[in-house]
Amino acid sequence: MSLDTQLPDDGVHVASAISDEVVIELASVNKWFGEFHVLKDINLSVNKGERIVICGPSGSGKSTMIRCINRLEEHQAGDIIVNGTEMGTNIKNIDAIRRNVGMVFQQFNLFPHLTVLENCTLAPIWVKNMPKAEAEKIAMQYLERVKIPEQAAKYPGQLSGGQQQRVAIARSLCMSPTIMLFDEPTSALDPEMISEVLDVMVGLAESGMTMLVVTHEMGFAKRVADRVIFMDQGEIVEQNTPDEFFTNPKSDRTKLFLSQILAH
Amino acid sequence: MTDATQSDTAFRPKPSLPPPANTVGVVGWLRKNLFGGPIDTILTLLGVYLLYLIVQFAVEYGIINAVWTADTYRECLDINLGEGACWAGIGAWFNSMMYGRYPDEEQWRVNLGGIILLLWLIPFWLPKVTGKIQVGMSAVLTFPFLAASMFIGGDTGIFLHVMASIALTLFVAVWLHVAACYVLGRSLPELLISITGFTDKDDRLHKYVLLGAFAVGFVIALIYHMSWDLVEVQTTIWGGLFLTLVISGIGIASALPNGILLALGRRSKMPVIRVFCTSFIELFRSVPLITILFMAVTMMPLFLPVEFNPPKLAMVIVAVCIFAAAYMAETVRGGLQAVNKGQYEAAQSMGLSFWKMMALIVMPQALKLMIPNIVGSFMGLMKDTTLVSIIGLYDILLMGKAAGQNPSWLGFHTEPLLFTASIFFVLCFAMSKYSQHLERTIGGGYGRR
Repeated sequence: MSLDTQLPDDGVHVASAISDEVVIELASVNKWFGEFHVLKDINLSVNKGERIVICGPSGSGKSTMIRCINRLEEHQAGDIIVNGTEMGTNIKNIDAIRRNVGMVFQQFNLFPHLTVLENCTLAPIWVKNMPKAEAEKIAMQYLERVKIPEQAAKYPGQLSGGQQQRVAIARSLCMSPTIMLFDEPTSALDPEMISEVLDVMVGLAESGMTMLVVTHEMGFAKRVADRVIFMDQGEIVEQNTPDEFFTNPKSDRTKLFLSQILAH
Repeated sequence: MTDATQSDTAFRPKPSLPPPANTVGVVGWLRKNLFGGPIDTILTLLGVYLLYLIVQFAVEYGIINAVWTADTYRECLDINLGEGACWAGIGAWFNSMMYGRYPDEEQWRVNLGGIILLLWLIPFWLPKVTGKIQVGMSAVLTFPFLAASMFIGGDTGIFLHVMASIALTLFVAVWLHVAACYVLGRSLPELLISITGFTDKDDRLHKYVLLGAFAVGFVIALIYHMSWDLVEVQTTIWGGLFLTLVISGIGIASALPNGILLALGRRSKMPVIRVFCTSFIELFRSVPLITILFMAVTMMPLFLPVEFNPPKLAMVIVAVCIFAAAYMAETVRGGLQAVNKGQYEAAQSMGLSFWKMMALIVMPQALKLMIPNIVGSFMGLMKDTTLVSIIGLYDILLMGKAAGQNPSWLGFHTEPLLFTASIFFVLCFAMSKYSQHLERTIGGGYGRR
């Protein structure tokens, strides 16, 4: 799957916009599913504006790691600090973090009973208490940005997979998040629709958004990422700039992984 | 030349052709479904003959040989020798089967109550009316008190007095709101705020305008309600279809909210709440309704202080509500489990609180899935209320039975049963049809994923 032909690899890397400010800090994070040790002592710090691509075989804990960042999964040991707020059991902290962290899912998870526009305005209206008219105005701006304003009145079930995923991105952006998490955003899409979603994500990267992307789209990683992280067995095996990562991987495990996904 | 090569390699889809004749239209349908082969044809003819026999009997019994005017059952038998229905008896007993022993000259109260409820619910189906949830909530939460104060009458006590006045205020407000929506195209709150000149003021002040308007309406309603002078009609003489509708109406209205709370409780992560809700549901689901009814009317009074002696009807209604809630809880839980986990995660990731997530994302989807089951429970509950006849409440079924024991109408059993059955059929069939309509229209009705 996922060849690096999905994006025109014109060799131009999207200009990076990293600041010194650390926005996500994972310190010795450990997590178990029952007896299964899924995250082992993860340390990671992400700067504002940084774009990180996380790859690795299935079951390596990459999705679980980013899901810990907005507490869709609870970690059992270690600290997670997002935008200076410590993630704990405190509901207020969790809600504050979630308001600032957008997430895009593999299965889109649009609300099927609401129109595209209602999907986008729901959280601004009910979480931020924004007046409806203003929320709709903002939603239309973002729908234009993902190039589907004409679908605003339709229901998600009437859209193609690629369109649904773009709506999902617009929906997250409507909350004006400072960080965006992408959990395999193109894995459930037909090959013909992958590039339209990746284009939107590249556009988002160009705007300077802090992004953590779990994906196997290596073309996207080469073009956009400031750092590529390779995970296996619940550990971060290797992290490096995309150039170094793809041309000069250090660990044997990484070499094997790259040879397998780039082989055909 | 280049053009020709291009059109040779370009992909051109084949044209779509119509399906073969004989497989579409009326003839195709008949051929496929009724006369597919010799056996199918024989079965079809047999079925038509059976249908003819049934219709013939029904017409002879119910129309041709039926007696429409008679003073006793004996007279009916003398005319048709028992080969036709005695609809005259239904005429004679109609009033009792509708209202029980509710005094004739007070029955307008019951009718008026029913009309108010219908009027209260009509805005629900008017497309231009906004805030339908609030309209529905106001009816469900306050109408029972207004109805109680109207149907019972007499000295209602301060609580019922206040609640009935609130209900009256809200009822008038709902219809002012409807008028505002249709005449001016604005909601009543907006109208009140703009009339009082608070449009530009702080949003928080708007609340006080509405509260003030409500208070004025409430005081007027209170004074008006005080002027009511209704003769007291004890609940012990309520009966007939009226009683059936009171019990099942309250049961149905309370079942869904209580069921939702119980279902959420059963799925809660908090152990005390979970254990309480689970035990409650399992206990009342595993006991027959008739047992709960008997316990409510015979055992409960033994445990209560003598001076606190609630009427039998109140105990029965509480019992029915508990039973209905326990059943509904499991229906709701089934619906909740059918909602994709991703929906919860998407809602959480946007920072929605638990209750907002439930109200805006999960419940609307779950309820749509549950409509057939919910309406099934409602229909079951409505029919189950006939069990109250066993503990001596004269609902429509027992009233019909009583007819056949009256000296002038001895043996008059079949017709009241047919009449009762057809009333239940009409009510339940209407519910069923309405639920199918809801399934089609709710939430855009578009493909779920």
